[in-house]
Amino acid sequence: MDKKYKVPIGPVHVGLKEPITAWLDLEGEKIVGATVRPGAIHRGIEFMARDRNPIQVIYLSERICGICSFSHVIAFLRAVEDAASIPVPPRAQYIRSLVLELERLHSHMLWAGVACYTIGFDSAFHLGMALREKVMDVLEVLSGNRVNYGVATVGGVRWDVTPELAKTVKQMVKYYKQEFAPFYDVVTADPIAKARLRDVGVLTYEEALRYSAVGPTARASGVRCDLRESSPYEAYGDFGVRAVVPQDYYGKAYGDVFDRFLVRVHEVYQSLDIIEKVIAGLPEGDIMWEKNLNKVLAFLKKAEGTGWASIEAPRGDDTHVVHLKGGDENVTWWKVRAPTYANAVSWPLMFRNNELADAPLIINSIDPCISCMERMLATDSTTGARKVVTRAELLEKCREKTRRLMQNGGR
Amino acid sequence: MSFPMNSVDNVTVAKSPAEVADRIRSVFGEEAVLEVRERKAGKDDAVGHHDIWAKVEKDRFLDFVDTLAEFDFPQFHVISGNDDGDVVTLYYHFTLFQVAGRGNRLGIAVAVPVNKKDLVMPSIFSRIPGVEYSERETREMFGVDFDGLPNKALVFLPEEWDESIKPWRRDEAGPSANDVRELS
Repeated sequence: MDKKYKVPIGPVHVGLKEPITAWLDLEGEKIVGATVRPGAIHRGIEFMARDRNPIQVIYLSERICGICSFSHVIAFLRAVEDAASIPVPPRAQYIRSLVLELERLHSHMLWAGVACYTIGFDSAFHLGMALREKVMDVLEVLSGNRVNYGVATVGGVRWDVTPELAKTVKQMVKYYKQEFAPFYDVVTADPIAKARLRDVGVLTYEEALRYSAVGPTARASGVRCDLRESSPYEAYGDFGVRAVVPQDYYGKAYGDVFDRFLVRVHEVYQSLDIIEKVIAGLPEGDIMWEKNLNKVLAFLKKAEGTGWASIEAPRGDDTHVVHLKGGDENVTWWKVRAPTYANAVSWPLMFRNNELADAPLIINSIDPCISCMERMLATDSTTGARKVVTRAELLEKCREKTRRLMQNGGR
Repeated sequence: MSFPMNSVDNVTVAKSPAEVADRIRSVFGEEAVLEVRERKAGKDDAVGHHDIWAKVEKDRFLDFVDTLAEFDFPQFHVISGNDDGDVVTLYYHFTLFQVAGRGNRLGIAVAVPVNKKDLVMPSIFSRIPGVEYSERETREMFGVDFDGLPNKALVFLPEEWDESIKPWRRDEAGPSANDVRELS
């Protein structure tokens, strides 16, 4: 008889927005149920914003997440600009789109590398990390920083694109079009990757809609949603972005980990195209609505209203809502809904009827704001015996499955 | 009533924001639609999408969600809100036609004032299960209970949290100065 276990996955890395514990109900190796419990490190960022003016909150919002920091800044700024009716000059919109796409590039490359690492494809992991350096270098040339770029401000951006930077960006695009190919091969030609990723962690089309999944997670389930297409913000309206969905490539969306990989790989090429269009079409003009920061602050102090912005961050729809009260210089209230917040609700569905060895893959497949699982605790409910499964052991379990598949010729 | 599930990949004929706003007005009265906002972007300052800002009373809220579902399955974003003195105002953010293709997204933000004498909202979990975390968050942060929400455990606050403290409230239920640790 199979023993039944209740296994928590967690705690998680302290440096990220949403650490999550997943309690898995196991029958032997099979996951029969899952309960998710976030909240190990809620930092109260929305509460902290009540004592800060919108310019100060820019730098607070940038620190919500280390990887998609710029997405949070833009979502916050667009909500403020909506509340206070502040226009953004076209050149600034283009530069914002450029940085958003650079961010998507390094986020997706990191994810692709980590996904390969999880199935034991280490050379692809190292390649992913090496490739990612190039886009980090470009961001450093633009802003002086590799993370938390400090590029955007209310009504525009703070750093302009110089001809030298444009040249660096063009070189980067050329480099990636050649060097990203190994990841393209993973989703087109690698039988082992297909054996490990296909039909694992499935989320159906209907479930994705009902559970409000967003971003690559929803698109992998066949939902044709991409805010860059359905509600073009900043410069995206000028580029004709189309949502990447698996049915356009393989005729069918399985909604599994493989499809999530596929969507992200194709989005890397899509981002490269958008970046080329930004550089080619960059309009002349101001990069700020108002250069004098004191005037901006005085304007924001008088402004009254509620603003809402949803943008397509690398992991999906990032929603910010801001309220400004006339005569009050601080942000009255602010609500942040990061994409993982929406996608984590679907986790229990993805775990159903999968093997424990696939749990790390499924957790990683939505690209959560959790970079590593510290350890797992396996409890034998029949005897009450406890055994700690370390991250290393769990990873080894995952890789062992890959080796097993390889010996069987990828079947 | 069973909540409709539109299984069409794209809503082939998306209704215009004015049509949706008119439908809301006809069911909930002229004052229900506060504003239809155009959101413009790009070189030509073209309209990227619209946001409808609406307001309904608590007892009409489920009808409001069902009215949205006449058009498409509403994509749920989040519940935001504020402690406004006698009431906690909740803003539900939805999207219609998220999958309807280019420039067709329609944001719907609906404000629902919840009187502090009766801090209970009807849950929409049975209609849109994606609402779970937001309802649980609103419950722990504002102390608004949700009638019909199956899992009412804490979601973002730690296990040892004193549940009598509601972090986002601005009255005596909110955190006192002693509960807030200034780091700088």
